[in-house]
Amino acid sequence: MSQREYHIVVLGSGGVGKSCLTAQFVQNVWIESYDPTIEDSYRKAIEVDGRHVILEILDTAGTEQFTAMRELYMKTGQGFLLVFSITSMSSLYELTELREQIRRIKEDDNVPMVLVGNKSDLEEDRSVPRARAFNVSQQWGGVPYYETSARRRANVDEVFVDLCRQIIQKDRREYAEKRQRTKKRANRRRPKCTIL
Amino acid sequence: MADFLLAKDEVDKHASALVAPLNISKSPKKLQNREPRHIRQSSSRGGHSIKSQSQISPPLTPRSSREGLPPHRLSQPVFHNYLRAFYHFHPSSTVSSSTDESSITVPINQGDVILVHSVHPNGWADGTLLASGARGWLPTNYCEAYDHLTIRNLLNALTHLWDLVRDGENGDLLVFTKQDYVRGMIAGVRFFLEKTQCLTRDSPLIVAHVGLRRMRKGLLGDLSSLVKSAKKLQETLQNETPVPVFEQLDELVLRAFKLVTRAVRFLDIWAQDAVSLSFDLGDASNNRPLTPPSDSADPSVQPPAPSNQNGEDVAPANENASAVAQASANATQEELDSAATQPPRNLHRLSVAFSIPSDSDALQSPLLPPQPQGQAKRFSVTHRLSYTGKVQGTRKQNLASERLNAAHDSFLGFIGSFIGLHLQSRSSEELTLTTQRSVVACRQLLAIVETVWERDSRRSEQLEQAREMMYTRLTDLVQATKDMFSSSEAGLGEEVVMPDSGKQLVTAATSCVRSAGDCVTKARLVIERIGDFEFENEEEGLSKTIFEQIGQEASQELEQPEEQPEPPKQTEPIAETDKPLPAPPVEERKMPPPLIISESKPLPEVPHSPSIASNRTSLQPIQPAIVESPTAVSFRSSRSSLPPVNQLPTPHLPQPSPSEYSQSPASATQRFFSKSARADSVNASVADSSSTYRYSMKGDTGSIVSQTSTRATTPDHSPAKKHSSQTLVSSFGSSSELRSMASEDVAAVEEHLLETTYAHELIYNKEGQISGGSLPALVEQLTTHESTPDAVFVTAFYLTFRLFTTPTELAQCLIDRFDYIGDSQCVGVPVRLRVYNVFKGWLESHWVGESDSAALGIIFSFATGKLRAALPAAGKRLAELTSKVTEVRAGALVPRLVSSLGKTGISNTVFTPADNNVPSPIMTRSQLSALKAWKEGKTQCSILDFDPMEMARQFTIIESKLYCSIQPEELLALEWTKKVGSKAVNVRAMSTLSNDLANLVADTILHLEDAKKRAIIIKQWVKIAVKCLELNNYDSLMAIICSLNSSMVLRLKRTWELVSAKTKARLEELKTITDVGRNYAVLRQRLQNHVAPCIPFVGIYLTDLTFVDVGNGTTRQLPGESGRDSVSVINFDKHMKTAKIIGQLQSFQVPYRLAAVPEMQEWMESQIQRVRSSDQANVQSYYRRSLLLEPREAPQIPKAAPPPVDSSAASTITADSRTNSKDRFEFLNFHFSSTNSVKDR
Repeated sequence: MSQREYHIVVLGSGGVGKSCLTAQFVQNVWIESYDPTIEDSYRKAIEVDGRHVILEILDTAGTEQFTAMRELYMKTGQGFLLVFSITSMSSLYELTELREQIRRIKEDDNVPMVLVGNKSDLEEDRSVPRARAFNVSQQWGGVPYYETSARRRANVDEVFVDLCRQIIQKDRREYAEKRQRTKKRANRRRPKCTIL
Repeated sequence: MADFLLAKDEVDKHASALVAPLNISKSPKKLQNREPRHIRQSSSRGGHSIKSQSQISPPLTPRSSREGLPPHRLSQPVFHNYLRAFYHFHPSSTVSSSTDESSITVPINQGDVILVHSVHPNGWADGTLLASGARGWLPTNYCEAYDHLTIRNLLNALTHLWDLVRDGENGDLLVFTKQDYVRGMIAGVRFFLEKTQCLTRDSPLIVAHVGLRRMRKGLLGDLSSLVKSAKKLQETLQNETPVPVFEQLDELVLRAFKLVTRAVRFLDIWAQDAVSLSFDLGDASNNRPLTPPSDSADPSVQPPAPSNQNGEDVAPANENASAVAQASANATQEELDSAATQPPRNLHRLSVAFSIPSDSDALQSPLLPPQPQGQAKRFSVTHRLSYTGKVQGTRKQNLASERLNAAHDSFLGFIGSFIGLHLQSRSSEELTLTTQRSVVACRQLLAIVETVWERDSRRSEQLEQAREMMYTRLTDLVQATKDMFSSSEAGLGEEVVMPDSGKQLVTAATSCVRSAGDCVTKARLVIERIGDFEFENEEEGLSKTIFEQIGQEASQELEQPEEQPEPPKQTEPIAETDKPLPAPPVEERKMPPPLIISESKPLPEVPHSPSIASNRTSLQPIQPAIVESPTAVSFRSSRSSLPPVNQLPTPHLPQPSPSEYSQSPASATQRFFSKSARADSVNASVADSSSTYRYSMKGDTGSIVSQTSTRATTPDHSPAKKHSSQTLVSSFGSSSELRSMASEDVAAVEEHLLETTYAHELIYNKEGQISGGSLPALVEQLTTHESTPDAVFVTAFYLTFRLFTTPTELAQCLIDRFDYIGDSQCVGVPVRLRVYNVFKGWLESHWVGESDSAALGIIFSFATGKLRAALPAAGKRLAELTSKVTEVRAGALVPRLVSSLGKTGISNTVFTPADNNVPSPIMTRSQLSALKAWKEGKTQCSILDFDPMEMARQFTIIESKLYCSIQPEELLALEWTKKVGSKAVNVRAMSTLSNDLANLVADTILHLEDAKKRAIIIKQWVKIAVKCLELNNYDSLMAIICSLNSSMVLRLKRTWELVSAKTKARLEELKTITDVGRNYAVLRQRLQNHVAPCIPFVGIYLTDLTFVDVGNGTTRQLPGESGRDSVSVINFDKHMKTAKIIGQLQSFQVPYRLAAVPEMQEWMESQIQRVRSSDQANVQSYYRRSLLLEPREAPQIPKAAPPPVDSSAASTITADSRTNSKDRFEFLNFHFSSTNSVKDR
């Protein structure tokens, strides 16, 4: 499989710095000026396990108040970064709701997902203990938990790569399953088009 | 690692110590074996040991420099954009072979300043002579870096101009419709004069020194003609008809060149005389003998002064030039050789005229002549990094910078997968593979970094540290991997490697990534400093070998401090070895060989083209041009060069027009130069120049040009020369030119120049827009007198200035501008009026009382004080405004003139059907009476009762009202995301309304228990959505589609089965329009083509604004001085982007011409209210309801397994499934307790 395109959705309440995370990941470090209004603003080609993949990242930072839009965003995603700020407990709580929504929409309990505690550079303001966040990630079925610092660009690429790897594996698994029962109609590689 | 590096330096030194004598013995063949030759990016400045230095006395003249060869140094790391020749270099042929125009050498004369485009490893540089505009190869060892604090801004401006012009060739002429680049030049000149304390006519230096006075005048004249050219170009471009403007571009460049050349001369004189005046005048006699000795057998190297046209009849000037060059050589020597006795003055002068950024640079000695090709190692070409950086076409893929980026990317990719791999269980086989790849990628990156570091003879410590850190990290990583493998292989064989065991690895890898990032950043800095260069080796081989050599073959590597990975013996022979190698200029003063560096072209033959050479020695004005192809070559083409000017015939033609008077002979190099030559370089009035001005001012500047154009002519004092100089001496620097220039022009320019300006503190982007600047520079841009300030810029400034400054600061800055501009008629007054206008615009339309009132006092006292004194009417008006602005509580005094943004003011006009062009509402009487009945509480209405179009209209009116009242302030600095006390009330209201509408849609569908009815409601909503689209109401469209597309509606399978295919198809269309994919590509595309009224989906703008805010820094660096003493200025680009987005939003803020139906709106509002106040209006309760209506099918929830229920049977849902869904939601309860807060967020 040559260049595959994967859709990643970044979610989290306002002010957790998720846009920072995305911008850091997507941005070419050398480009002085970042223009988010063009089609390629949120696309990035990376290599994961020797595969070249293109990630298209949907980060709706700034529109957190448009709660009704969330589902629309979620539908497009194959993998989700759930971002909270380690300085805000409520930002972690809100993720649980988002996760449930994702599971509902995807009708799948194993949606590729990464739990991200951002602002790890603000250790002194930490109000979410690492263990607490880790517990949550375990409750979610062993979702990987990372702490990142978008500002220092720590772990930024890692979370995206991890998520991407999960997607690829799921992809592979489903591909294999599909081949096993070729006659079955459901091609669930792109779950977003299943329902209708 | 440190030891290793040290050792390497050691080796270098020895190597070069050995080499130097070899050079002296003039045996170039031995040179070929010398391995580590550092390109000068400066050519070879081999490693020099102090010892060898003291033995060989550095030359005072080129001759001695050849005999006692200057010691090699480490390669000169800094890429200098400008070089200055301190020897003549006159190859007997400028073209190595008549067929190959890319190997043109360009003759240089002492004192020539050259804009360097790239430097070949062998020491030849592709450069353009400022004096003539001729481009070609020239030996860098004849030159010296040229840079001085005073002139740096001017030089940077010139570089910028050059880059712009080169971009311009690719069709991007937009920048030339603005005058910003000219302002840059003016600011450069101003800065220059200011720093030399010659800004005003009355400055003591100017008064005292007649030469400087004249030079200054000439400089102003040049500036004036440059400005004129620019204006002309602007006018041409503004004409609708496309006219080829290349000639004008050429003219522009040449005028700029001329200006800079004169500035250089000015600086020379200033450095020699003016500055020494204040120190020790007597020392002047200490000047060394000038110029290269005349004993050369090679006719191409001109004997010194006498035959040097530089000399002309005016010795002082020439002396001056050479003296400076001399001085630099001396000083160089002095620094190297402590035994040398130099008059301190020389050193001083050097530091003035040729001060170079850092110590190591100051040590610059004559650079080595080109080395024979065919060495084991080749060095790559060094390129100037273009500021505009748009010259993609000519860029090489293997430029260091590009390589660096690519390697970093791939490294990150691999290491990323490496890390990811270790977080989960993988087979060790996979692990091995990834590890290998990561390491390989890391090697590649390191190799490139290594190369960069090697190339930088200054051996950037930071980079070194970063690199070492990375080495260490990589070693750790490799070690960790090994450990793991050894243990896992011993124990488990091909078993799965457990994630835990990878933890250490992950840590190692992560830190590796971090240090890599650091390393790359540092490397980039170094590249910026030393110039970009090309890799010549295959990426793969290079990196591998380098890596393998680390440690094991360290000693071997030590001997070759450059990127070539193989040990010297193994290096494959390079194709060029067998080619005839050009002899270096060192050799017996043979003519330096012309050079080709273009990869595809053959190396030049040793150039002895007698015919051409002879042509050059005698001046025959009408002689046909010999070199054919080169003339056709544009001097802009990246590789090829122009022929020297002197080969061009110079017929005497009447002068075309007075305005072209000042055109320099360099125009001969223009692209469309015809064989018959440009006439304007020969201007008739020049005749009197030789007799009138015998002053230094004319001397060098003039001579440089005349030399290039009439190289073979004898000096002025010879009678023969007199004639030729009359015909050929360029207008450049000649008195006639100055005279011919209308004196008022000069005066105007002078006045212009006297303005204090901060234009050098501005940064422009590729499109020629301001992307950064200090506050005074931005304020200056707001108040330029020569053109109306760019409306977009002004709007952006008003809108965003509170983000980067305070109102008080801005007011003060404007007042400063008012003060420093003075009150001259043609500059001061217009600018002052503009200052007043800025204040006025601010108070009238952009006043934000809350924050701006702090500045009110300052403004008022300014209005009643200085402003009233200077411009009474304006002062009065402004004072009035200050009092008015305090009275008005909300809103602007005057509706904002947002013409620049395409908006025409906010008014929530409600149209009545009586208006023309307003469609009358589609309402039947029965519908109206139904609404009335509803109001009286008698009946209920349903959305099915009304026409979809009318409902869409009424929604649109409601929504439009909110949308049009969004204030720009609400969109700044993420105001709308603030959780408490957000001022962005309207933006918030928009999102609330949007959510309410979506909830209303869900509610209307889900409250019906009959699937058939639900299907009908869905159909109705789809119809309404279609109508919303027709009305360009994307916000409502989004909300409706979102809801129809939500899981709770979408999962109602039985309902959808009842929806017609037609409706589904329509819905699909709408879904593609609202698709969030590819960054809303479809929606954005549509919005681009819309005209107001329109309600775009506000969310897009909010996201854009968020990312502009986080993705762009608040400051940026002024170019040119990366790293050290760089100045950060406001990143205005960010604010422009913000303003642009807000501008788009505003451009749609136009009320719809639709008639409101109050009854219907009332009903709608009540519906929305009902949904809003319902605690059921959240996704969870809707979803629950949805589950009740159509329970999940068996496979999803095996436990529930409800029997198929019929649609009306909500009550028949089994207890089992109910519990089940209840369970689900109880599980969520702990955070749903505050559903409302979630919703409102």
